[in-house]
Amino acid sequence: MPPTSKRRFRDDDEYLPSGPSRSNKKSRKFSSKKSNSATPNIINSEDENDLTLTKEALIPKSAVIDIDSISSTLNVNIPRDSVSKYFGEDDFSYIKLKKDHANRPLWINPNTGHIILEGFSPFAEKAQDFLITISEPVSRPSHIHEYKLTPYSLYAAVSVGLETEAIIDVLRILSKIEIPDSIMELIRTCTLSYGKVKLVLKHNRYFVESSYADILQKLLQDKDIAEARVVNSEGSDNEGFLKDRAPTSKDLIISGKKVQEKETDTDGKSSEPITEDDNLFNAVVQIDKEDEEEEEDEVHSFEIKSEKFEVVKKRCIELDYPMLEEYDFRNDSTLPQLDIDLKPITVIRPYQEKCLSKMFGNGRARSGIIVLPCGAGKTLVGITAACTIKKSCLVLCTSAVSVMQWKQQFLTWSNIKESQIAVFTSDMKEKFSGQSGIVISTYSMVANTRTRSYDAGKMMEFITGREWGFILLDEVHVVPANMFRKVVTTIAAHTKLGLTATLVREDDKIGDLNFLIGPKLYEANWMDLASKGHIANVQCAEVWCPMTPEFYAQYLKATSRKRMLLYAMNPNKFQACQYLIRFHEERGDKIIVFSDNVYALEKYARQLKVPFIHGKTKPPERMYILNLFQHDPKVNTIFLSKVGDTSIDLPEATCLIQISSHYGSRRQEAQRLGRILRAKRRNDEGFNAFFYSLVSTDTQEMYYSTKRQQFLIDQGYAFKVITKLEGMDTATDLVYRTPSEQMSLLTEVLLANDNDADLDNDIESNADDLPGVVTSRNFTSQQKGYGGVKRSVGSMKSLSGADDMAYMELSSSSSSPRTMKKVDKKTQAKDHHPLFKKQWLKGR
Amino acid sequence: MPTAVTHFKTNIYECLEALPKPTLDQLYREPATCLAIFRLLPPLARQLVMSLLFTQPISPINLTQSDLRLWVKNEAAALAKFDEALDKLSKLSIMTTDSTGYIQMNSSFRERFQDCLTGGGDHQSFGVPCERPAKDKPDITFLDRHAMKQWEEILHFMVGTESTRQPSAAVLKVVTRAKLMKEGKDKQLMITNKGFQFLLQDVNTQVWAFLIQYLDIADELLHMNVVEVLNFFFMLGSLELGMDYSVEALTPTQKQLLDDLANFGLAYRRKKGSSRYYPTRLATTLTSGNSAVVSSAVSSSTSTTTGEDGATEQGFIIVETNYKLYAYTESKLQISVLRLFCELQTRFANMVYALITRDSVRKALKHGITANQIISYLTSHAHPQMKKQVPLLPPTVVDQIRLWEMERNRLVATECHLYKEFRNQGDYEMVLKHATNLGYVIWSNARKRMFSVTEEGHEHVRNYIKKKIAQRKTNGGGVGEAGSGIGTPNNGSPSVR
Repeated sequence: MPPTSKRRFRDDDEYLPSGPSRSNKKSRKFSSKKSNSATPNIINSEDENDLTLTKEALIPKSAVIDIDSISSTLNVNIPRDSVSKYFGEDDFSYIKLKKDHANRPLWINPNTGHIILEGFSPFAEKAQDFLITISEPVSRPSHIHEYKLTPYSLYAAVSVGLETEAIIDVLRILSKIEIPDSIMELIRTCTLSYGKVKLVLKHNRYFVESSYADILQKLLQDKDIAEARVVNSEGSDNEGFLKDRAPTSKDLIISGKKVQEKETDTDGKSSEPITEDDNLFNAVVQIDKEDEEEEEDEVHSFEIKSEKFEVVKKRCIELDYPMLEEYDFRNDSTLPQLDIDLKPITVIRPYQEKCLSKMFGNGRARSGIIVLPCGAGKTLVGITAACTIKKSCLVLCTSAVSVMQWKQQFLTWSNIKESQIAVFTSDMKEKFSGQSGIVISTYSMVANTRTRSYDAGKMMEFITGREWGFILLDEVHVVPANMFRKVVTTIAAHTKLGLTATLVREDDKIGDLNFLIGPKLYEANWMDLASKGHIANVQCAEVWCPMTPEFYAQYLKATSRKRMLLYAMNPNKFQACQYLIRFHEERGDKIIVFSDNVYALEKYARQLKVPFIHGKTKPPERMYILNLFQHDPKVNTIFLSKVGDTSIDLPEATCLIQISSHYGSRRQEAQRLGRILRAKRRNDEGFNAFFYSLVSTDTQEMYYSTKRQQFLIDQGYAFKVITKLEGMDTATDLVYRTPSEQMSLLTEVLLANDNDADLDNDIESNADDLPGVVTSRNFTSQQKGYGGVKRSVGSMKSLSGADDMAYMELSSSSSSPRTMKKVDKKTQAKDHHPLFKKQWLKGR
Repeated sequence: MPTAVTHFKTNIYECLEALPKPTLDQLYREPATCLAIFRLLPPLARQLVMSLLFTQPISPINLTQSDLRLWVKNEAAALAKFDEALDKLSKLSIMTTDSTGYIQMNSSFRERFQDCLTGGGDHQSFGVPCERPAKDKPDITFLDRHAMKQWEEILHFMVGTESTRQPSAAVLKVVTRAKLMKEGKDKQLMITNKGFQFLLQDVNTQVWAFLIQYLDIADELLHMNVVEVLNFFFMLGSLELGMDYSVEALTPTQKQLLDDLANFGLAYRRKKGSSRYYPTRLATTLTSGNSAVVSSAVSSSTSTTTGEDGATEQGFIIVETNYKLYAYTESKLQISVLRLFCELQTRFANMVYALITRDSVRKALKHGITANQIISYLTSHAHPQMKKQVPLLPPTVVDQIRLWEMERNRLVATECHLYKEFRNQGDYEMVLKHATNLGYVIWSNARKRMFSVTEEGHEHVRNYIKKKIAQRKTNGGGVGEAGSGIGTPNNGSPSVR
């Protein structure tokens, strides 16, 4: 639904970036306030510069608008009653319901932009499709879902082709209440300048494209942009712009997509009379289809010099018209075609298709991030995208092991020749033969700036010396922004696709990802996938293990580092672990036990005579152990340290026990759960995978445990608390049954080196390195202890938070990361991004 | 809530059963009361009464209990029911077995009830309608609104909605006496778990429970005649909604009562001295036993004004696995009830969004509201969508609420006696060993030479020490007193479970 020109004019007048409009002043004001307040947040002095720079350079001003500020300008003259005060500012009962509100599925909170959706409404499914495009999912359990409108999410919405008025119209249809002015303003302000201008690479020439000629005029008034312009008289209109049809995806075939089924529009068939609203709603929600059909829109464009495109890009952001990057790969004749296609037997699932249709919506490739749960086939999405673009492709992942896994997957799903896939790790430096091909490497290899070996240097030249059609970034959430910038700036790629399971949202440090890579294109609903059998059903449980009196007495006296060891080594926990292992082995489950604490890991594993892997285990041994676990019916249990959190693909595993974990990291919890989501047996009838988290009662662990579960709980998982394992009392020959055994264990634990309690000694020390910065020194060790980059403390903690309590750690990590100091409330609140402050305070 | 209804009915029975026979006889002088009590009887008892009501006076046949037993099927279950019914009748002294073993119907009850059914007699038991038509008669909607407003005011007061005005003295007395509320630290009245239970019941049940409490007060504090009060209650139950009745016909006690009942919302008077009164739906449905219909009728007819939503009655709460609670309600009362154990977050015109947190649940627990009460509240008010799933509430949430309750009960206090200041280790060990053998020791510390024994063990241990001392004295060893410090009872030695 394109807005009428009249309407557009008014909007432009009112919201002109350079104009004296009210809203814009506000956005200015907040962006400046933001950058001031952001400074104390940043921990590392070098980082500080980096990030501040990043922010100024890469984030458009509207992205830091504080919705609170908008709503507070509302004239508060609200009728209140006797219970209003319990809600403070959040009593919106004065907003009148629409007459037919019962048929409409959602409410919008004018203060925070939260959207509450009735999951049982007949419209819910469509509304979800729409909301996932324009907002961030907050929680999606069974009945009522919550979403939140944020500047980022609106940016993402615009970039996949939704327009301001369309967003507002659909919201208006879906909402039970009139859309509050503050929300309108938020949507308008955030979407006003976004997505209006695109940077298109076509026929190997860069074009700045927009359907609004006036915006292009405005951009050309900028000196730098005007300079970069290539004046070309041919085919241009009186303003000097090139006119063209808007792009369509008419002839694009996403490989692997099943033959297009006839659109079965359920609404068309339904007996209910279709109101005008419904039609409009359908029209907008199915925006992608609309893209394909009408698209008689004209677009205007001008060409810019290819060497100047970086400058233009930067200027556009400064002018508040961030450019979306699109790659018209079908018309790119200069980059050699890569002969790759999915094998005929490969069929992609409906939700994977949905991801890809967002990416290739208008027949061009958009850059962005796709969020799918672990085990839901992210790899296949990436491979399919590569098969669609058919250009040279660079894949970056977090570890050498996943490099090999990616290679394997490419060979499995696509028809690419092995000679066309090259691997670049510390051990292998291959180049592909021929004009085009695929290189798979790790972030640390590519981002490494210090001295390289001769081979590696050559390889880097090979990579940086060519143009890539497509760069695939696996597990994007683990890599800090400055590292990405390095990657993005050193490698010339036309399309960037990020893949992750747990995109931690609204984190200051990786919020930039939205602008470095692109907006989030799709985020899947975990529960939905589980109910459809794409990922396993998981029963989650938190098992409470009381501390033995002796251990607890020592716990109270101990230093915080020793405490960790004490609660990990709690004999009752030991027994519970042993009992659960035995119980599940008897059921025929394959079990992974996770422990962040290496001391505990070894102790448990040796005591229970089970193989284990941690950071210092040599690669051949690892492969051997993993192999045993997969194929030897006698080995049903392995112990893994956090090296196994991500990217270890063990579809045999059906049960997971966690005995020690990394503070309150919600991401780790989700990643670990991911290890059992792809269980081979998931489609067996009544199959359930099991996830146990063992916590010692009355210790800090309880507190962390609650925090860790938050992400999964918001996805709709429920953690059952087990206070007593049935039958554990009567079980025979459990370890540490007698007090004397327990006492000797205690003595052992107390004698253990303090360092053993440390969660981070798993990966070789890199104390003199900046958190998140990869240096050549730990770079080799990362090849061994794969994933070292992401394990650095600073980044781990900051990444683990989203929009509530976990944020506490962000500021505390400025001090010693291990002490987890309690920071005084006020400072925290102050340090917090104003956008989330409210929410965060509530969370307390 | 069928359970609540039965629970509550027994309450009226209990109340009536507790009355002495003369009082009951007095009560049965009013036909309205007879009818009301008849209606409250179980079906089989009603059947018995009806069978015997008219037969006996004409042809006096004497029937024993075993004769009557022949009327029912010879099945254990049926007979048990019969016995129960007869037992109830005899407790209410409607039918009693005389010394010869014959069943006799209370003569006063028989006469009045016959009058009542046949329309005979010259009584004003069913109220006296006003002869002159009222100038501007309030309509039923108005009466419903008045009733709800008055009644909800009491409930609001109980849940502690601020800015509700202080209710009348009678209400205050009732809620404190019935322990629905009690004084907190700051002299503020706070809701108790009994009060919370009260809130969980439907309106009709609440009204009765309240009236029964009121009856107690009326008897003790206001020195009213119980019979007159009860008669008045039952009379109100027989009046017709929307009619106006004359105050003149009432006794002075009843006039006084009327003021209070009008205050509770059971009746309406235009002004204090008005010569007529109008019973509201709360009053007229007192004895109909059809409470569900009542409350929904009340709520639907007043939904537009008082904000009591029809949905409220069907269940309106959705609880999610992430401890978020969404309540489809506009009712201020329900919001206030939710506030007792939730953190209210956001309110829309027809929906309230709240969080169940540890703090909020603990707050409720501190007031004495139990985890089970919260859970049963959530269950009984669950939204139809929730009712589609099994189990109804997310088990994790239910478990967690229980765990939060258990968390508060981790310290268990045990009454005990402390023994200390033993002269030497030998004495200490000797006594300790003795006490340990008998299983009385709760706690001991050898270094401090102290131990404590249970309440019941105290006597044994003390005697044992005395005996030992006596022995030594006779032995002339001169060791002195072994356990001089026979401990003072010390219940401050809680043991952690």
